[in-house]
Amino acid sequence: MDWKRMSGTMALIYGVMALMPLFVGGTDHLMHILIMCLIWAVVASCWDLIMGFAGIFSFGQVAFFVIGAYASAILALTFGIHPLAAMVLAGVVAAAIGVLVALPCLRLKGAYIALVTFAVHMILEPFLKSDMGRAIGTGGSRGILTIPPMELFGITFGAGDKVAVFYAALVLAVVCSVIIMLVIRSFWGTAFLALKDSAGFAASLGVSAFKYKLAVFALTSFLTGLAGGFYGHYIGMLSTRMLGIDLFVMLMIMLVLGGIGQFPGAILGAIVTVTFNEALAPLGTYRPMVLGALVVVLVLALPDGIIGLLRNLVPGRGAAEPAVAESTAANAGGQG
Amino acid sequence: MYIEEYLDVFISGLTNGSVYALMAVGLTLVYGVSRAFNFAYGSFYSLGGYFAWVLMVYLGLSGGYLMVLLMAVPFLIGFGYVTEKVIVAPLRKRSDWEVKVMMITLGLALFLDNGYQVLFGPRMKSLPPIMTGAVELGPIYIANQDIMIFVLAISGILAFRWLLNNTRIGMAVRAVAQNPIGAKIVGIPKNRIFAATFGISTVMVGLGGILLAQKYFISPMGGWDILVKSWVITAFGGMGSIRGGLLAAFILGMLEAYVGYVFGMTWVLFALFGVLLATLAIRPQGLMGKWG
Repeated sequence: MDWKRMSGTMALIYGVMALMPLFVGGTDHLMHILIMCLIWAVVASCWDLIMGFAGIFSFGQVAFFVIGAYASAILALTFGIHPLAAMVLAGVVAAAIGVLVALPCLRLKGAYIALVTFAVHMILEPFLKSDMGRAIGTGGSRGILTIPPMELFGITFGAGDKVAVFYAALVLAVVCSVIIMLVIRSFWGTAFLALKDSAGFAASLGVSAFKYKLAVFALTSFLTGLAGGFYGHYIGMLSTRMLGIDLFVMLMIMLVLGGIGQFPGAILGAIVTVTFNEALAPLGTYRPMVLGALVVVLVLALPDGIIGLLRNLVPGRGAAEPAVAESTAANAGGQG
Repeated sequence: MYIEEYLDVFISGLTNGSVYALMAVGLTLVYGVSRAFNFAYGSFYSLGGYFAWVLMVYLGLSGGYLMVLLMAVPFLIGFGYVTEKVIVAPLRKRSDWEVKVMMITLGLALFLDNGYQVLFGPRMKSLPPIMTGAVELGPIYIANQDIMIFVLAISGILAFRWLLNNTRIGMAVRAVAQNPIGAKIVGIPKNRIFAATFGISTVMVGLGGILLAQKYFISPMGGWDILVKSWVITAFGGMGSIRGGLLAAFILGMLEAYVGYVFGMTWVLFALFGVLLATLAIRPQGLMGKWG
C-alpha cells in the first residue's frame, strides 16, 4: 500500500474515531469499548509490524503488554513515580526484556521463535504469581488493585472521566501508528522487504537481518509496553487473568481480520474485533468457544483480511498490487 | 534426601519421560514432514484423556484399557486426519501459510478447550489406574502402574518406528520429509501423507493423554502445559529429529522430576525454559536437529 493511501486510511479511521465521543460521550460503557479499541489497535499494529513486515513469528505480544502494565503499576505504586513517566519507563522495561528474549531468538528460525516467545507468555503467569513476583510487587495471584490514574494539566485520566481517557488513548494510538508507518516506509521497511524476498541477496548487499530485527523487536516491545502501562493506569487494577489464552486469540483475530502485513488493516481489525467481542457478551461461557471457531473460519475465509477483501471488491484499483508480506511463493510451494 | 527418595524421583522421571518422548516424537513428526506447527497439540492430549474418561467412567464400558486403546486409536487417527484435511490443507497454497497454520490451530485449541469445559465442566477428571499393586525391589517400590505406563509408551514409540521404517506408508512419509517435490514426481500423494502424519501424531499425543491422565488429571485447559513441554522437548532435541526428541524427553523428564522434588513444581517451567534457552543460545538447532 503506498504512502498516500496508508496515511489516508489511517486519517479516516482515527478521524471517525475522534468524532465518536460527540455521539456516545455520555455512555460510559460505549466509551470504554472505544478506549479499548484504541489500546488494542496499538498492540495489534505492533504485532503486525513485527510479524507481517519483519517476518518474525513473535507470539509474545500479550506478554509484553502485561509486562508493561505491571511495570508501570509497580513503578507508580512502589516508587511513587508520576504515571506518565512510569508508562515510558514501563515501555523501556518491556523493550529491555524484549531485547533479552530477542537475542537468543533471532538466531533461530520460524517455528522456534514462535516457541520461545510463546514460552515467555506461558511462564509469565507463574512468575507473577510466585514469591519472586510478589517480592517485586505484583501482588501474587490477587494482582494489583490500586493503580493510581494519570493526572496531567489538572485532568484525571481515570475511569471517572472516560472522554478524557479516550482522547489520551487517541493521541497514544495516533503517535504509535505514525511511528509504525514511518518504520514501514523507511529504510527499515525496505530492508525487511528485501530480506523477505531474497535473504541471501539482501545480506550480500550489506543488509544486516539481525540488526534490523533486533531493533524492530525493541521498538514493538516498547510501544506495546507503553500501551500496557496506559491500560493499567486507566483500568486501575491488574491480574494475571489477562494472560489467558482467549485474550491472545482475540488479538490474533484482530490481525487476521485486518490482514497480516497490510498495515492500517490491523487498526481496523482491532476496532471491529473489540466491538464484535462486546456484542458476543450475551453468549457467556460459550464466548471463548465461538471466538475459537471464528478464528478457524476467518483464517480460511479471509486470507487477506478486511483490507484484502475490499481490494478484491473494488476491481482495477490496486488489485494487482501484491501484499508487502508476499514472500517467495515458490519456496513455500516447495515445502507445502 | 535419602538414596531411596532419589530412586523414586528417578522412576517418576523415567515414566514421565517415556510419555513425553511419545508426545514429542508426534510433534516433531508433523513439523519434520510438513513444516506445519500445531498449536492445538495440547488440546489433542486432553481429547485422548476425555475420550478414555467417557468410555471408562461415564459409560462404564467393560474391557479395561485394551478396549479403550482399540477404540481410541482409530478415533484419534480419524480426528487428526480430518482436521488436517479441513483446516490445514487449504492454507498450504498461500505463501504465508506457516503463520496461518499456527493461528488456525490456536483458534482450534481455544474452541476445543472451551468445548471440553462446556461438555465436561471445569472439574478435573481422572482415570482409574491401569494396574494396581507394586513391585518391591529391596528398599524401593515401583508401582505396577508406572511400569505399565513406561512399557506402553515405549511400545508406542517402537510401533511408530516400525511403521516409519517397515511399511509403505512409512517410506512415503520419509520420502516426503526428505524431498517433497521428488516425492511428488514419483507419484506419492503428498497431501494424503501430510494428513496421515497429522493423524498419527494425534494418536501419539492422545495416547499420552490416556497414559498420564491416570497419574495426573484431565482438565479443560490442562493441555497447554503439555503443549509447552512437548515443544520445549522438541526444540531442545532438535526439530524434525526423532532421535533427538527421545533423548531430550528423558533428559527433561528427569530434570522436571528432580526440580519438582527439590524446589517445588512451580520451578519446573522456569527450569525447562532456562535449559532450553541456554541450549539454543549455543546450538540454535537443538541437540540433534538440522536446519532446513
